[in-house]
Amino acid sequence: MSTKPVIHPLSQNLDTIEVEVFDTMFRLFEHIGVYWQNIDNSEPYRSELYVFMQNRINLYPIYHQYYKAAFNTINKMIVQMGEQACYQEIFTDPYANLPPVDTNLSIVRQKVSNEFIDFQLSLGGFKSFGATNYPGYIGGALIPGQPVPYRTMEKKT
Amino acid sequence: MKYDLIIVGSGIAATALSHRILEKNRNASILMLEAGQKVKMQDAALWQDYIVSGKLPYAKFNDRPYPERDMPGQNQNIGETVVPLAGSRVMTYGGSTIHWGGWSFRLKPEDFFMETNTNTSINWPIDYDTLEPYYGEAEHYIGVSGDSEDNNPPRSSSYPFPAFPYTYEDSSVAAAIHALGMDFSNVPIARHGILSSTSFNAPCKTTGTCKYCPFGARYTATNFLNHMSDEKDYPNLEIRINCVVNTIDMNAKNKAKGITYYNKTTKETLSVEAKEIIVAGGAIESPKLLQRSVSEFWLQGIGNDDGNVGRYFVTHPYFIFTADIAENKSLKQPEMNFPTLCTRHFDNKHEQAKGKFILVHPPSSPQIDIAELMKSGNSRAEIDESIKGANTVQIHGMVEIFSEFNNYVANLANAKNQIGLPQTIVDYSKSPEFNDRMAYIQSKVERIFEQMDAKIQGKPTISWRADHSACTCRMSEDPKKGVTDKNMKLHGVDNIYVCSNAAFTSTGAINPTLTLTALSLRLGDHINEKLEA
Repeated sequence: MSTKPVIHPLSQNLDTIEVEVFDTMFRLFEHIGVYWQNIDNSEPYRSELYVFMQNRINLYPIYHQYYKAAFNTINKMIVQMGEQACYQEIFTDPYANLPPVDTNLSIVRQKVSNEFIDFQLSLGGFKSFGATNYPGYIGGALIPGQPVPYRTMEKKT
Repeated sequence: MKYDLIIVGSGIAATALSHRILEKNRNASILMLEAGQKVKMQDAALWQDYIVSGKLPYAKFNDRPYPERDMPGQNQNIGETVVPLAGSRVMTYGGSTIHWGGWSFRLKPEDFFMETNTNTSINWPIDYDTLEPYYGEAEHYIGVSGDSEDNNPPRSSSYPFPAFPYTYEDSSVAAAIHALGMDFSNVPIARHGILSSTSFNAPCKTTGTCKYCPFGARYTATNFLNHMSDEKDYPNLEIRINCVVNTIDMNAKNKAKGITYYNKTTKETLSVEAKEIIVAGGAIESPKLLQRSVSEFWLQGIGNDDGNVGRYFVTHPYFIFTADIAENKSLKQPEMNFPTLCTRHFDNKHEQAKGKFILVHPPSSPQIDIAELMKSGNSRAEIDESIKGANTVQIHGMVEIFSEFNNYVANLANAKNQIGLPQTIVDYSKSPEFNDRMAYIQSKVERIFEQMDAKIQGKPTISWRADHSACTCRMSEDPKKGVTDKNMKLHGVDNIYVCSNAAFTSTGAINPTLTLTALSLRLGDHINEKLEA
């Protein structure tokens, strides 16, 4: 990969992601695995999520605000309805998934949670659904004598 | 300064040609002019953006859709058949290989003899045997993974990398094709494999994000140009971006002097001279440049006294058949981003008169999108049921279309696009026989689906998008029938070449890029001989 990242001019002077904001975002990421039972332990992906969030901010500075808004919304919802109900609402509320993104809950759903789902699947969350490879997952090279990095016609795995 | 070569465009044709020339003579002076800009490659943030949003960083360099009554749009479609330019090409440094699929088929020997075999169109002025060694070199140059045992069409050299094995998804369609007594084969694909030596190309790591490969494993001229200009010692290779070529300038009827271009960065209009001019702007821009290069020597544009420049425009209609399956017990899912299985069973001499076609099993069949199911709020149980339950499968393909004089592309007066290039008039009308041909293809596809216990949904969706545009400056030994000769040199001019799909005489049923690369390498040899002389 390229060593000189693309950075939006407005992103260069933004503060780094606050620890409490990141902790809340990581809890949301963990709960994706819990809710869909596709990743038991999300801890190994902590640093990758941080880099992912930083990359989103580098490309689109408004993500700095999205993550802060999500932090506030999630913590308020947890106080109001408890943790389990909060995440269930974020993941399943049908109205939060409709464009445009103009409510706090729709920011959490469409700009954070949905993107975390894509990212989580690409990190390996797809495997529990039965496949060996997935778009976005670095399955590996085709190396002679080594297992093929996807299910093949001759052999499923 | 007078350059050895000016190359208009910076896509795969320009890149392979200049590579060939500079390999032979590293001091050759080449000026490459590109109207577009650079796109950052192999960037982690852009890659992740593609994963989560589907956005590609080069989409802004696509044509806009045609105007609608309530949308301004770009370009003009005046034919009966809408041939979209939007999405078909990328006007950027490195050209359209930045978005291509990498399917790297060879034409077959009969494709070079359309007129002889079918009494329609014209023959190529070269045959398969002439191009065969260059096909082999092209496969090595762009890094194709394929089955070296597949000798249809014949091959004298191996692919540089072994074929990607058929996917598990392929198993149903492979069994169906086999049961019907047809052959299937690996899709030769421009993805680098493992080398024993060092290479600036990383091997494909099957990320399934080929449209923006994070490793540069899919051939993209952008990466090769970067390598040539940054890593190689080519002191006289100069690549200027943001430069729109206005005209080719002539000294005499048979002699080009140079070109005049507009530098969008410095806002200057400049003229430069060269011994040889290579027009490598693709099948749309190449004829348009010749058409607008009007002078006292060429009143209708260079090479256009017979009105053939821009004519015979053709592309491949890409069809998608969909069928329903009752269940997917074996949990087949999309695991790759490129197809591994195709059949060229109908790509043969027998089918040539009515239109050869290939069928491809896409990597998104069954069509399961776990991310969308999760984002839509489905529970785990619902998603599991969705994967193993009723689904849809697909078979894609392309059919050869015959080029006809009445179909053409031209400059749209007084209208420029966001790149600064003149907008385009596209006039294309499909032949009256096309619908019958598709009905025939459907009958063949239906049989495959029946073998798979899949029920076809009906007629296919057909895209006439101009991805495989060709033939607009076609080769022919007869100057009355073609614009270029067997070396892609303009008839009547000693030093202008069209290195592009535009020079194709016909397209066969397959993607043009490997053939274009082979032709570019062959032209490189021709130019080298000329420069040495």
